[in-house]
Amino acid sequence: MAYSQPPTPSMRPAQAPPPRPGARPAYPQQQQHPGQPFHQQPYQQQPGQPGQPGQPGQPGQPFQQAGRPMSRPGTPGAPGGGPIPGQPLGYRPVNGPGPVPTYGQPGQQPPSQQQLQQRTPPVGMVRPHDPNQNNAMRRPSQAGTSVPQSPSGPRPPMPPGPYGQQQPQHQPGQPLQRPPPIGGGIQRAPSPMMRPPMSQPGSPGMPPYSSPKIRPLTAQVPGQQPPGSPAVKPMGYNAGPPVYQGAAGYGQSPSQPQTPKIPSQPHPGQPYQQHHQQSLYQGAPQTHGAPGMPPAPSPAAQGQGLVNAPPVPGPPTPHGGGAHKPKRVYPQGMDAYSDQSAAPANSYGAAPGAGFTPAGGAQPAMPNAAEQGPQFFVPGEKQQQQPVPAYQQGLQPLAGQSLQPNVNQLTNQMAGMTMGANAFGYNTGPQLSTVALMGSAPRIQDLDADPPAIRLPPNAAITQSPNANSHPSYKRSTLNAVPGTSQLLTKSRIPFGLVITPYRSIKDGDEPVPVVTDSVIARCRRCRTYINPFVTFIEGGQRWKCNMCFTANEVPSSFDYDPQTQQPVDRWQRKELNHAVVEYIAPTEYMVRPPQPLVYLFMIDVSYPAIQSGMVATAATTILESLDRIPNDEGCTKIGIVTVDSSIHFYNLNTSSGEPQMLVVSDLEDPFLPQPEDLLCNLSECRSTLEALLNRLNDMFKDTQNVGNALGPALQSAYKLISPIGGKILCLQASLPNLEAGALKMREDPKLLGTAKESTLLQAASNFYKTFAVDCSKSQVCVDMFLFGSQYSDVATLSCLPRFTGGSTFFYPAFTAAKSEDALKFAHELAEFLSQRIALEAVMRVRASKGLRMSAFYGNFFVRSTDLLSLPNVPRDQSYSIEISYEDNLTIPVVCFQTALLHTSSSGERRIRVLTLALPVTNSLHEVFQSADQVAITTLLACKAVERGMNSKLDDARDALTNKMVDLLGVYKTHMTAASSGATPNLQICDNLKLMPLLMLGMLKHVALRGGSQIPSDLRSYAMHLFSTLPSQCLIPYIHPRFYALHNMPADCGTIGDNGIVMPQAMNLSSERLERGGLFMLEDSQNIFLWIGRDAVPQLCIDLFGVPNYESIRGGKTTLPTLETDFNQRINLIIGKTREMRRTAYYPQLYVIKEDGDQALRLWFLSHLIEDRAEPIMSYYQYLGHLKDRVNSGSF
Amino acid sequence: MSVEAMVFLFGVIIGAALLFVKVFFVILISDLEVDYINPIELCNKLNQFVIPEMLTHAFLTSMFLLCGQWLATAWNLPLVAYNGNKIMSGKHMFDATEIFRTLGQHKKECFIKLGFYLLSFFYYLYRMILALVNDS
Repeated sequence: MAYSQPPTPSMRPAQAPPPRPGARPAYPQQQQHPGQPFHQQPYQQQPGQPGQPGQPGQPGQPFQQAGRPMSRPGTPGAPGGGPIPGQPLGYRPVNGPGPVPTYGQPGQQPPSQQQLQQRTPPVGMVRPHDPNQNNAMRRPSQAGTSVPQSPSGPRPPMPPGPYGQQQPQHQPGQPLQRPPPIGGGIQRAPSPMMRPPMSQPGSPGMPPYSSPKIRPLTAQVPGQQPPGSPAVKPMGYNAGPPVYQGAAGYGQSPSQPQTPKIPSQPHPGQPYQQHHQQSLYQGAPQTHGAPGMPPAPSPAAQGQGLVNAPPVPGPPTPHGGGAHKPKRVYPQGMDAYSDQSAAPANSYGAAPGAGFTPAGGAQPAMPNAAEQGPQFFVPGEKQQQQPVPAYQQGLQPLAGQSLQPNVNQLTNQMAGMTMGANAFGYNTGPQLSTVALMGSAPRIQDLDADPPAIRLPPNAAITQSPNANSHPSYKRSTLNAVPGTSQLLTKSRIPFGLVITPYRSIKDGDEPVPVVTDSVIARCRRCRTYINPFVTFIEGGQRWKCNMCFTANEVPSSFDYDPQTQQPVDRWQRKELNHAVVEYIAPTEYMVRPPQPLVYLFMIDVSYPAIQSGMVATAATTILESLDRIPNDEGCTKIGIVTVDSSIHFYNLNTSSGEPQMLVVSDLEDPFLPQPEDLLCNLSECRSTLEALLNRLNDMFKDTQNVGNALGPALQSAYKLISPIGGKILCLQASLPNLEAGALKMREDPKLLGTAKESTLLQAASNFYKTFAVDCSKSQVCVDMFLFGSQYSDVATLSCLPRFTGGSTFFYPAFTAAKSEDALKFAHELAEFLSQRIALEAVMRVRASKGLRMSAFYGNFFVRSTDLLSLPNVPRDQSYSIEISYEDNLTIPVVCFQTALLHTSSSGERRIRVLTLALPVTNSLHEVFQSADQVAITTLLACKAVERGMNSKLDDARDALTNKMVDLLGVYKTHMTAASSGATPNLQICDNLKLMPLLMLGMLKHVALRGGSQIPSDLRSYAMHLFSTLPSQCLIPYIHPRFYALHNMPADCGTIGDNGIVMPQAMNLSSERLERGGLFMLEDSQNIFLWIGRDAVPQLCIDLFGVPNYESIRGGKTTLPTLETDFNQRINLIIGKTREMRRTAYYPQLYVIKEDGDQALRLWFLSHLIEDRAEPIMSYYQYLGHLKDRVNSGSF
Repeated sequence: MSVEAMVFLFGVIIGAALLFVKVFFVILISDLEVDYINPIELCNKLNQFVIPEMLTHAFLTSMFLLCGQWLATAWNLPLVAYNGNKIMSGKHMFDATEIFRTLGQHKKECFIKLGFYLLSFFYYLYRMILALVNDS
């Protein structure tokens, strides 16, 4: 039995019984069991001990007492009999040494603001800096103009070698000294620059620097070479072992790689190919005059001619496949290739027999053609299947060693023949397989598929590390092959941008971000790019050439020599050369001031609606119980609490008596701080006072009748309080601010919904919040909003604060803590949010290779200059989308995007997180389409649509999405398929974009963008907020929910498999899947729905809900009971897995939907089934028909 | 000196001032583009000139109207209406949070206004000299 795992002592129950309102929710406290995989926790559920929320004696849970009362009688921990709880007056000092308790009268002004500011305690966060920062190799400051570093301190001793430190500073125009014969020199004295021997048969221990390829380089003067030209790239002939194996198959010995005889082979082939190509594709760009590709290579240019010539076509084809067909053969019809399973597989299958070993270690998996459904092959593919002469195949590996743009262009011309996938000959990726959209259900399993592989040339990265390129969860591009020209991008109509989640959470099992602790950070002195796996070392490793601007920079001495241990070190082991995502410990040059401590200022609404909804009680309990989880590594974390109704209440937590002291400010016009130095307390020092306050918070206001909410003035004073340090203001608001500055009106007008003016409701009602957000951003203050709306909450306006300060918005419509599910969701999310190890005072900049520019930014931040984003806080798992535009055409083979996030970690260290993404450049439309990432495109388009919807009209946003889809399909039809014009019976798109129409339809039907007058503007605003901040792995389910049938799932679903809990197979979102007696689950990363058919068998009801029959099941928000039945446990596990697998703080709420139950709930559930027709929006097939009509009528 | 000469002399002075303001706008916006200034500073600096500029322009137009300079009034009225419309819809101020998205529009508007003021300036100058010549 799957549940027979013996319980370990550390196991805790997964599902607590529904807590009482305000009681502590049983969220998992992960840090207590760091070693324990998260997914195992659900299995802790033992039938005999159904979820007790924690055990009192457990270490690390001092506050975990089941059913802890909100207010305890007596005076907890108050020496000498403190004030009686429940009497707010008791907190006001009668004759305290401080200021007068209630400041309302002008005559009783406290110390002036200036004095208060001066008296603000110093941050006290000066940290010892790295002792090495006084090194001679100190980095010039970021702001100043950088000067080339001269090796002033003595360079560490290096082993004598051909590239020793006495490398002369050669004069321009004067050829560099030619190194001695390389192999011998290196073998005699391996220099530290040497790469460790690669496991290459035939040339053991030959480092790339010693490669003969360096010869043409050294013969040239650096700097005169155009960027990206081939010779500058120290691509070793010996690098890329597999390539050589391929070559060896054709008689090329790896031990003589540089032999110039090789070019003699390609030459016969080259003109032939070109001629062939021209006759095929007249429209393709002819680049014969491209620099670096002389039509008749001189003997001196043999090397270039060599690398230019052999861009050999396509995937390896069977040797004996017959002669190369000079004429293009068009398919007879669509079904000429309907025997699709044979076509690609055959050509690949025969490849090994031809002696070809695919180059490149990471081969993307071949799409299983048999699973693809009907495929329609474009003529290009047909070409691909044509046999290629053997002599061309032989060249293939060689082509892979060069990185010339013109190779690219040349291969582009051959795109029809080679299908682009093999443009460089070193990588045989999956083919561009065209699929027909209509006639079959979309294959939604591919939503979770990996993005198209990034097929970089081998040796694009100087180390062979598998982590040399960013993981898609950190950074993904909409196009994994970048068009070489803006014309090509425009032609493809695919939006080009990056989706960046720089500060994603690291769960158990994820690899942590490597940290570089050097005092000298290697950056390009011109463009400030950080050194990364895609730079090249030149001059024997003395300098490195920036891969963005091609400036030569000094390599810091620490790359080869560790001054601490006084030992030479291996630079190839350096983290920044092996990992695309690294973190540097920033030296003092990167600090404007000492790193700030964490500051959490809670601003809790205590007006009547807030108290009535139970928000205050739940919040106080949650904060109280999260105090241990708040990051407090250095004991510097500061906490403050401000409550607000029609006046502002501050709490002095730094009292000598240990009792919190309440200070009321009722002057809202000019709010001031009564005791600025004591209102923020150190979490460690004032812990007991804080606990006392939180314990009583609800009782203090429980009888309030005050309906005022002076959020604006309270924010202003809170800003005064924490702006000297910076930090986080968490606003918990259950009513609309209605006093003084920032007062908002109930402006929801049902008449406006569904009209063109609806977008006014989605824009900020008051400028106050925008201006305030800008001020906050300037002072490194972040505002987070937790909104609890029993009525209209104006999410649109209040979410402005998080939007421009790098915060987050959480919205709980119709919140009432009386519903334990509501309380649980809020408590879980707040606790998760508080325990996040956030980054502070951050700026983010994205650099790109020359020719590309970041043109638009989407997400929660403030744009401080054309390419600098300012984020006072960086929460975990928030995503930022950036659109890229062209300034110039790209002439380099690989472009690079580098995101640098300079931040203060929650442990008080100034750090720089650098994410590098390198993408190949292509000039073939095939490759552009083939490399398009539908998930990233959807994420970017969602952001763009939201912005469009807010700033102009929702109609425009929807039209823009559909137009984009029509454009994509039209371009694909015109340029990629045989039926380039005229009506076609079906819509076709490449395999990797086949779910785009479905995702588009999902967006059109989503609450954020759907038309109609049913959606309150609060919900729409919140959905829009999520659209622009959710990371892809959350946003895609949000747009296209996951839908499972649970009543007939396989037996292993919901049990522990090899990869954690086995989830059922997701189904298409169509109501035709619903069965009258079935149980279905639908999950959109924010909510979970359990749908029960009215004919559900009683056994299912008994097993799952513990009720005798269908009629007894209660619909609506619920918590699934924990029963001892196998079925119940499996479902509970599936729900638990669903809740944690999205890696965000959001806690999906469970709704039980009965087929004949509440109409509104039922319709809500059905609205997620996006393949169905839902008035007024089409069904999926209607939408495809609509797209087809428009594609057929348009011209592209 | 006739009333006409007086009012156009006044127009020349104000026209020159408006011209300077617009040049200042253009310079600051270009500064923002090359990152010499941050958007918050830019908006703080520019926003204090927006309303005065519009008021000054409206005042000048009303002067022309009062003095019966119909052509000059007609020339200026469209801009007054445009400014008024902007204020009514609350979009006259520079918004630091949106500035990079709207930079192109702002720049275009600035250049058009600059040209407008330049033309106005020379027209006022011409009319002033004409009036002075006629006077003497």
